[in-house]
Amino acid sequence: GQTGKLMYVMHNSEYPLSCFALFENGPCLIADANFDTLMVKLKGFFQNAKANKIESRGTRYQYCDFLVKVGTVTMGPSARGISVEVEYCPCVIANDCWNLLLEFMQSFMGSHTPGIPSVFGAKHDSIYSPADTMVQYMELFNKIRKQQQVPVAGIR
Amino acid sequence: MDKSGMPWHLRYLGQPEIGDKNRYALVRNCVDIATSDNLTDFLVEMGFRMDHEFVAKGHVFRKGIMKIMVYKIFRILMPGNTESIEPLSLSYLVELNVVAPAGQDVVSDDMRNFAEQLKPLVHLEKIDPKRLM
Repeated sequence: GQTGKLMYVMHNSEYPLSCFALFENGPCLIADANFDTLMVKLKGFFQNAKANKIESRGTRYQYCDFLVKVGTVTMGPSARGISVEVEYCPCVIANDCWNLLLEFMQSFMGSHTPGIPSVFGAKHDSIYSPADTMVQYMELFNKIRKQQQVPVAGIR
Repeated sequence: MDKSGMPWHLRYLGQPEIGDKNRYALVRNCVDIATSDNLTDFLVEMGFRMDHEFVAKGHVFRKGIMKIMVYKIFRILMPGNTESIEPLSLSYLVELNVVAPAGQDVVSDDMRNFAEQLKPLVHLEKIDPKRLM
């Protein structure tokens, strides 16, 4: 049969009544909170991947039309990094405000400012959806999962 | 109910509950989820395969928490195309169902009482899904 595929189930406090289920390079389903109940019913058909639950928790800032969310990314008990989410609220077409977002991010992130997210790819002019946010978090979390944990070294 | 922009509705129905033989109504575990419109692609990605599809056209009536549906079933001629359909039969199907919290079996008595009122126009019977599979 098929080689194992990973399905990610994610939650976002910005959309408290929703549940996001996504496959890498596949569709992202937006469902209501009962989706978690469904997964419990179906758990016999899936193997729980060994990857630990990963989460980003922090503060949400509103600055004029921008939303900035800074969080500490943790996997189990250990902190693994920091995530920064920036949203320009009035615009729903990514291509139309990317330059503005870039300028805004550079003002406080300097050299850490990222390039255009791959989730836009070819579809620059389609309407932004919360699923696009979740795909970016999935990619970020996967990147963090793959990073080696830096061992704490004692120095004599 | 089929308006564009409305969420898709996914319903999971479990096996009939044990102890069902004495009850007048079929009782099954049920999970209802509203989803985005890419549900069919997503289910295929999850590993599900489509077994059958159909169009139902008719009316929905409500009496308290009871829902009565009177509908005609249409066969779909071209997969995925809900415009090209033909009726499966000339009759309407009458379905009485209730979604209630777990354990509230007394609901099946209310259902039977209501079903009695529909006689002799309609004879509602409990079905055994296993016999149909």
